[in-house]
Amino acid sequence: MEKQSYQYTENPLHVTRREFITIGGIIVAFLALPAVWMYSLTSSNNNYIKARTKGLYLDDEKSAIRVSHANKSVARYYKEFGGAPLGHLSEELLHTKYINRTKMLS
Amino acid sequence: MNEAAKTYQKGEIPGVIAIKASVCKGCDACKRHCPTGAITGMFGSTHSIDVDVCLSCGQCLINCPFGAPYETSDTVDEVIAKLKGSNVTVVGIIAPAVRVAIGEDFGLPAGSLVTGKLYGSMKKAGFEIFDNNFTADLTIMEEGTEFITRARHAVFGEKDALGAEIGPLPQFTSCCPAWVRYVETKYPALIPNLSSAKSPQQMAGAVAKTYGTKVWGKPAENIYTVGIMPCTAKKLEASRPEFKSAYEYNKKNNRAEAIQYPDVDTVLTTRDLSRLFKKLKINLANEKETDGGTLLADYTGAGTIFGNTGGVMEAAVRTAYAVITGQELKPLEFKPVRGLKGVKSASVTIKDAKYNKDVTINLAVVHNISENIKPVIDEILAGRSPYHFIEVMNCPGGCINGGGQPINKSGSSWLGAIKPWFAWT
Repeated sequence: MEKQSYQYTENPLHVTRREFITIGGIIVAFLALPAVWMYSLTSSNNNYIKARTKGLYLDDEKSAIRVSHANKSVARYYKEFGGAPLGHLSEELLHTKYINRTKMLS
Repeated sequence: MNEAAKTYQKGEIPGVIAIKASVCKGCDACKRHCPTGAITGMFGSTHSIDVDVCLSCGQCLINCPFGAPYETSDTVDEVIAKLKGSNVTVVGIIAPAVRVAIGEDFGLPAGSLVTGKLYGSMKKAGFEIFDNNFTADLTIMEEGTEFITRARHAVFGEKDALGAEIGPLPQFTSCCPAWVRYVETKYPALIPNLSSAKSPQQMAGAVAKTYGTKVWGKPAENIYTVGIMPCTAKKLEASRPEFKSAYEYNKKNNRAEAIQYPDVDTVLTTRDLSRLFKKLKINLANEKETDGGTLLADYTGAGTIFGNTGGVMEAAVRTAYAVITGQELKPLEFKPVRGLKGVKSASVTIKDAKYNKDVTINLAVVHNISENIKPVIDEILAGRSPYHFIEVMNCPGGCINGGGQPINKSGSSWLGAIKPWFAWT
């Protein structure tokens, strides 16, 4: 068996397990940045819709009377003028008919 | 009138929305929001709108990243002239969704509830207040009663007291003018399913010029009704020639002069009203809060949620439950119809006090019809729909996100946030 002589080698590029995970993590974080930016842009899309929705539900919660049939002014309207729901005057003033507009195309 | 406009009656605005060719980039963003595919033009070329298919809902207008679509009807100056005229009572009919959105045009955060300030600003401008929430409550009384009649007819064979014909189930709500036009132009077979009740705006116009003459002590000729709506399709609705029932009624009772008048004289969108306030140097954010003034401004919580998807249904459930069972619904919040899911459905089993029997009612709520209505309609046409009462609103989220509302940059036209970086704008 040949006797091994001393040989000088430079340190190879050595990455410990921890270092590898750290470097990998940084790269992933950089790649994810535009994705997060796009997500935050699109996820806030509906925020104004939700805010307005909440505003109306708040108006409902604040109301002392919360059912239509207890609206005293509507009751007064029917008593002084309108008669009853689906009554003669209601049919005249508050109901309508619709038009088949596909016939107009021909 | 436009040569191509065939699906309009004489007198109607032939399409409220048009696209400004010089601004359109042909980016196709609007097509995703159009419920009927009315927008024509290839990607990259200038788009235009087929008015016969268009519902005038304005979703393209509020979602265009470049602001190319515009409204063909603008009556702000006309209304200002009426406000300055001496002998005319100008009545502003304020829709529910306006009060949570108009603040955005005056620097308040989205969703701020500014009912009092809105009343104050309108009074300062010279309006009398007619809160459309009053007629929303009236709509529930009419449409709810109609539904109970239809349901009792279908289940128990009950006949109408006046001998009128009773419509089929499922019953559709008829508050949304874009939805009504959608049925009229695409699915005429479903017209009998639409509730015969007018939309709250048209009810308000008819009430203002009949009962309102007593409230304001003015003849109907001197009452000028202005719908203030979150909606561009309401402009088209108000121009429908059949909506002159107040005139017909007054004529029958010898209270009308020769000149005909419509129930609703003109319509301003929320954006239009902001413009009107700014022209009159009124800053809504700093105005005093006032109340409505007359009984026609009284409303309940059920009326105000009409502007949300599911709101009409929730209000109807609250009242129908009380009428059918004789007891109030507890709790009043009916959660299954809330939220932004495409099609929401719920089932309510209630005891009909009149017949002493349990009845199960299946409800559905549909919004954003460009994506969600097709399967629901197909089921009905195939005769296997489980639903009895269906609320439909054209716009995603309901009227609060209507085509006449302030345009929100954070909205689906999110390109607005990065638009300043584009070289060509």
